[in-house]
Amino acid sequence: MKKLRSSIVLKSISGIILMLIVFSLIVCVIGYREFTEELLDQYADGAFIAAETSAMYVDPESLDLVEAEGEKAEVYRTTWQELDRVCNLTGATFIYVIRPDLSDYGHITFLYSTILDGTPYEHYEFGYVRETTNQDYRDKYRALYEGRSDRELVIRDKGYIETDHHITAMIPLRDSAGQTQGILCVQRQMEGLSAARRGYVNKVIVTMIMLAIIVCYGQSVYLRRMLLDPVRVITREASRFARENVHTGKKLRDSISNEDEIGLLADSIDNMEAKIQTYVEDLTRATAEKERISTEMSMAARIQAHMLPDVFPAFPDRKEFDIYAVMDPAREVGGDFYDFFLIDEDHLCLAIADVSGKGVPAALFMMVAKNFLEEDMRQGCSPSEAMERLNALICSNNPDQMFITVWLGILEISTGRLTAANAGHEYPILKQGSGPYEEIRDKHCMALGAMEGIRFKDYELTLTPGSRLFVYTDGVPEATDGQEKMFGVPRLLETLNQAQEETPQRTLGHVRQAVDTFVGEAEQFDDLTMLCLELH
Amino acid sequence: MLNITKKAEGAKLEIGLEGRLDTLTAPELEKSLMENLNGVQELAIDCSKLEYISSAGLRVLLATQKVMNKQGKMELSHVSSEIMEIFEVTGFSDILTIL
Repeated sequence: MKKLRSSIVLKSISGIILMLIVFSLIVCVIGYREFTEELLDQYADGAFIAAETSAMYVDPESLDLVEAEGEKAEVYRTTWQELDRVCNLTGATFIYVIRPDLSDYGHITFLYSTILDGTPYEHYEFGYVRETTNQDYRDKYRALYEGRSDRELVIRDKGYIETDHHITAMIPLRDSAGQTQGILCVQRQMEGLSAARRGYVNKVIVTMIMLAIIVCYGQSVYLRRMLLDPVRVITREASRFARENVHTGKKLRDSISNEDEIGLLADSIDNMEAKIQTYVEDLTRATAEKERISTEMSMAARIQAHMLPDVFPAFPDRKEFDIYAVMDPAREVGGDFYDFFLIDEDHLCLAIADVSGKGVPAALFMMVAKNFLEEDMRQGCSPSEAMERLNALICSNNPDQMFITVWLGILEISTGRLTAANAGHEYPILKQGSGPYEEIRDKHCMALGAMEGIRFKDYELTLTPGSRLFVYTDGVPEATDGQEKMFGVPRLLETLNQAQEETPQRTLGHVRQAVDTFVGEAEQFDDLTMLCLELH
Repeated sequence: MLNITKKAEGAKLEIGLEGRLDTLTAPELEKSLMENLNGVQELAIDCSKLEYISSAGLRVLLATQKVMNKQGKMELSHVSSEIMEIFEVTGFSDILTIL
């Protein structure tokens, strides 16, 4: 995080420095060239003035004579003295008059030459001949002689006086007929030029460095104030919020006054925090509510489970029969129930029922139904009478058209006589003596709550010793696998017949296991309730 | 899954059921029927493509039957043997008109 922050300043400042370097390079180059040109112009002007002045003292008509007689000629001596005077007055380093050989300008002959006093050089003697220095000179001599030019300038690093940059101004010495008789040259050293240019470049560099320091400092202060500090505040607030998830009530906007993108960012963060806060509060409330409902539901499930006889063995001191039952709701609570209780020493009441629908509504309905049936049966009603009474009760006020299918029976333990009634419930399954399990196609009546004033009928059958009675709700045959195939009654019978001699508890375990294997990964869809009785 | 098709013709309403009428789909059918029963004197329910009916589905049929008892008649047609078995076991075959 820290690295990133400094890197913004670093990047911005190195950008500025780079720009300044490029800028100062350009200024240097342009300035250097302008400076050089201007200075050269001035040197050249000076040199030409010296040349023009010197030319006044040289009579072009006399040059033939001078060349012929040299130092013996009177005119040579006077002219040389004048030239020497001009040389010392104008500060020209070297003034000379030459005649090139006109065939190819390859050689020049010095007629006059004077040197500034105080320089460690000697002037050429009269008549000194040397090779023309280079093609540049040759071309210029030729231009002057042929009348194509009235003045020429040569700029050179090195010359006869090999010290410093110098320039040579040349003008033709023409006679009255306009014929060039010789060339007068003035050489000037430019010792001041390099020093002046160096001084100029140094000034530019120093100025730029100072400018860079000032701009960098200003930029870093500005960035810190306008960018880094607000961003740091925002970052700190964002990570604080991420950690605590609580809005402090203080807005970022109060401490950040930027009216730019940073300001927008602060606004967005403020907004986001407010929204997340609301969302978290809603979520917390919803979760708490869900938690509460879930707690209540699991309590309800426990209460419902304990409403049914769930302690086994249920009658440890009765050796004549064994009974076992399970109820497994698809949701926390269910609409199925089983029930069994002794009405007296010789009469065992058995019930299994299924309320239409599932979940809480079915569970509420089921509790009422169970209690009513038990109450009526304990009062000595027959199964059909108890059903009629419950049907009347439900029908008297049943706006939601709930109904309940019930199989209800009373077993006379001593004789094995079973009196039962079936209100729209699944057929019971009976294993008589040593025979196989088979469905009893008993007389069916309407489910309770469906229609007012229906008559219910009891039927009777006798269980022989060793018989097993299995009753269940539709959750068993209608358990569905992943391919929407149902377990079905034939498969249920087959499963039961695989465990003909098992105790009721093991029988139900066996069926449950078969159903689970069949359903596989699919969700349990309906309440699953079974009851099994074995008569010894 | 349950597909419900509706065809209204004056006072006659034809409903076609396709799939499973169980706890999940029964509320859908109930809503659809209760919205459309106003003024219907003849309700025909085609069960030829109905695969399964649970107690929740039976409840919807029962409630509808009770409404139709007051304003006309309700008939179920093309009931498969599996569905008929359920109607018979639960005793619903006694109160429903099954063609």
